[in-house]
Amino acid sequence: MGNSSRDKNVLNVRGIKKSFGGVEVLHGVDLNATAGRVVALLGENGAGKSTLVKIISGDYEPDSGEITIGDQTFTKLSPISAADLGIRMIYQEINDAGTLTVAENIFLGRLISKNGFVQWKKMRQEAKRILEELEVDINPNALMSSLRVGERQVIEIARALSHSANLLVLDEPTAALSGDEVDRLFEFIDRLREKGTAMIYITHRLDELRRVADDVVVLRDGNLVLTGDAKEIDRSQLVEAMVGSKLDAVGRPPIRERDLDLEPVIRMNCLSSSAAFKNVNLNVFPGEVVALYGKVGSGISEVAEAAFGLQRPSSGELEIQGNSPAKSPRGAIAKGVGLLPADRKREAAFLGLSSGKNLVAPYWSGVLGGNFWVNSKKERSSFERWREALRIRVSPSGAEQSISFLSGGNQQKVLLARWLNAGSQVLILLEPTRGVDVGARQEIYAVIRELADEGVAILISTSDYEEVVQVADRAVVMSGGLMTRELAYDEVSVLALTDASGG
Amino acid sequence: MNIKDQGVVPAVKDEVSVAPPSTGNGPRRQLPEAFALVVVLGALVIFFTVTSPVFFTTNNMLNMLTSIAVIGIMAVPGTILLVAGQVDLSVASAAAMCGMVTATLAESLGLGMGIFVGLAVGLLVGIINGFFVTVIGVNSLIVTLAGLATFFGIGQLIGDGQTVLVQGFRDLGTSRPFLNIPMPVIIFVLALIAGFIVLKYTVFGRQVYAIGANPVAARLVGIPSRRVIFIAFALSGLAASLAGLILVSQLGAASPNNARGYELLVVTAIVLGGASLSGGRGTIIGTFLGLMIIQVLSTGLTLLNVQSFWQSVATGILLLIAVSSDRLRERLSPLG
Repeated sequence: MGNSSRDKNVLNVRGIKKSFGGVEVLHGVDLNATAGRVVALLGENGAGKSTLVKIISGDYEPDSGEITIGDQTFTKLSPISAADLGIRMIYQEINDAGTLTVAENIFLGRLISKNGFVQWKKMRQEAKRILEELEVDINPNALMSSLRVGERQVIEIARALSHSANLLVLDEPTAALSGDEVDRLFEFIDRLREKGTAMIYITHRLDELRRVADDVVVLRDGNLVLTGDAKEIDRSQLVEAMVGSKLDAVGRPPIRERDLDLEPVIRMNCLSSSAAFKNVNLNVFPGEVVALYGKVGSGISEVAEAAFGLQRPSSGELEIQGNSPAKSPRGAIAKGVGLLPADRKREAAFLGLSSGKNLVAPYWSGVLGGNFWVNSKKERSSFERWREALRIRVSPSGAEQSISFLSGGNQQKVLLARWLNAGSQVLILLEPTRGVDVGARQEIYAVIRELADEGVAILISTSDYEEVVQVADRAVVMSGGLMTRELAYDEVSVLALTDASGG
Repeated sequence: MNIKDQGVVPAVKDEVSVAPPSTGNGPRRQLPEAFALVVVLGALVIFFTVTSPVFFTTNNMLNMLTSIAVIGIMAVPGTILLVAGQVDLSVASAAAMCGMVTATLAESLGLGMGIFVGLAVGLLVGIINGFFVTVIGVNSLIVTLAGLATFFGIGQLIGDGQTVLVQGFRDLGTSRPFLNIPMPVIIFVLALIAGFIVLKYTVFGRQVYAIGANPVAARLVGIPSRRVIFIAFALSGLAASLAGLILVSQLGAASPNNARGYELLVVTAIVLGGASLSGGRGTIIGTFLGLMIIQVLSTGLTLLNVQSFWQSVATGILLLIAVSSDRLRERLSPLG
């Protein structure tokens, strides 16, 4: 375990610059990590956090700058040299051997052995000792797969610390944890702090900062924009540092007059779905765009999916167009609901098929009118119609070409057009502009607004606050499976969104 | 995201590595595939024509088509299944078993009844396969592998392991109703045409391609994946029984060893013809070319008096080449 005396500087990184393919992503960044202190590293996606951290762990080499560990200085590190110097990374995704025991996992890759034979007893005793020192109450003989996520993470940290660790880097460690587990992790981090371990804690969640961090470092667009004391710094200072001037630059769409006599198309009342979300109240009326905003894991996707018949709610009321919801995608589509999944490649696009075929795919379900024979002419004319309407950038023979040849933005347009072509009156869009370039993004937002003008009800689930600001009439914010706030038209702003979602 | 694919389990779904889309060079790959097959077939035909005087004769052509007809009839629904990401390895054993059923019943209940029940058993085989794959959710490779062993065993049980002679059942397999073309060839060609039309011009065909290309997305656009795959397996079982009956008619007898090993040739032909083991790709024309390549190679080698054992080696090597080129194609393609 880290032997460093208090306040000793463990890591000092200065003037780090890094470019990829001619584009500079880090413009001279500094960072310090001290024994017995937690420094939180904040920043939006693309700010440079993971690049910086990968340079520290040796996965990348910086173009310039210096890295000082203890009393040695380097211009670059490799994964092996970083590990030798005691730098330990804990990634978001848990990578352990589920079928092996806790003790074996702690010593994964460095089993205690003599002459090629594993010394099981000694290993178990060592594991027990390590766990006791960290005051972790887990049986070293338990199978990893029997542990809960939070416990597995703790074991992973125990493994990292069990052999001459100087610096622990935690990447969004609470992303997959529930409330109790988060508290236990924080207590564990407190103990590590007392033992003098230096830690870098990467997070999105502003709420956690005060509880767990001593120092804060904020990156924006590859620059270091703020350092300070986590206990003293103001939340809005942090948001402003992370988001910058964009706070005011992102415009709101024009206010929409809603016909108050209409019934909601999606009505959720105290809706819960066992593990994913609880007590959600949500109404979506025809002709409006409602955004569900929250971080990954907040429950926004599951709530949206419930409206499409993909999540079976465990309690509460759910009505789609005044009736009980469909129990399957087929049922939902028959009722005029369309769903655009978040993972385009895995769940939405038929990459081996042409764009034209991708567009008309819902008509193969059989629930939109019984067809037996394919109507190629109709396929082509449908594609033409939407290619024009959505300005899909594709070559003249585009309808026949595989959709994989299109850019992300154009693919997304085709997939969106899929539901427009099917005449959906209710659209559920999950992360609609993920992986889409800026230009196509604006065009897609314009289409969404137009659809709402024509009376379509649109529910968007997104973790992109700019998207909410630019396209939604109103927003519902979720965190940890619960609704935290409902924002009316004039209440929607980046600050309000990040406040309510806990980061 | 919690969308789980509650549809059917594809036969062989490997991890396809992600390659970034190319700079939109268009369908440059679609034409060359069938083209390459035609070239290979052409080269083989030329080679054997030159080395054997008997090769390029009408008689030989008809013989080759007749030989491949039985396998070919099973390869049509086999193609549909593979495009949907499934495989049916039980076809050969089912064919033999159905032949045994027909032959045995023909003795006691008459030929007509025997044929009817034989075909019904084939349909039942398909339904059973379909049930285990779509309802129970077992991988089709495993289900039909189990079927392969089981149906072979049943075929042996039916006749006590003996061959059963059948009288008066020569027409199906040996008659030449028109233009001197053998009946099996006519049936084969009809099956090819039907398969071609289904895959290319029907919504069912589109559903099959979609399910193979992306089972999750297929479910999310409302395609009834389980139903489609179930139907495909039923068709495969029926085709197997038809093939088995043709064999019995050709040989004049049913044996549990009929069609032994044909499933290998069926899969080889389909993959050689351009179908991908992970589904979403494949055509009837490709399968036909694959079948012809196999048959030309086999017949050619025979005419050159090459030992028949070499033909097994050749088949094995062909399958390896077919699957390897499928994998290479996937890795080099811009498909994500």
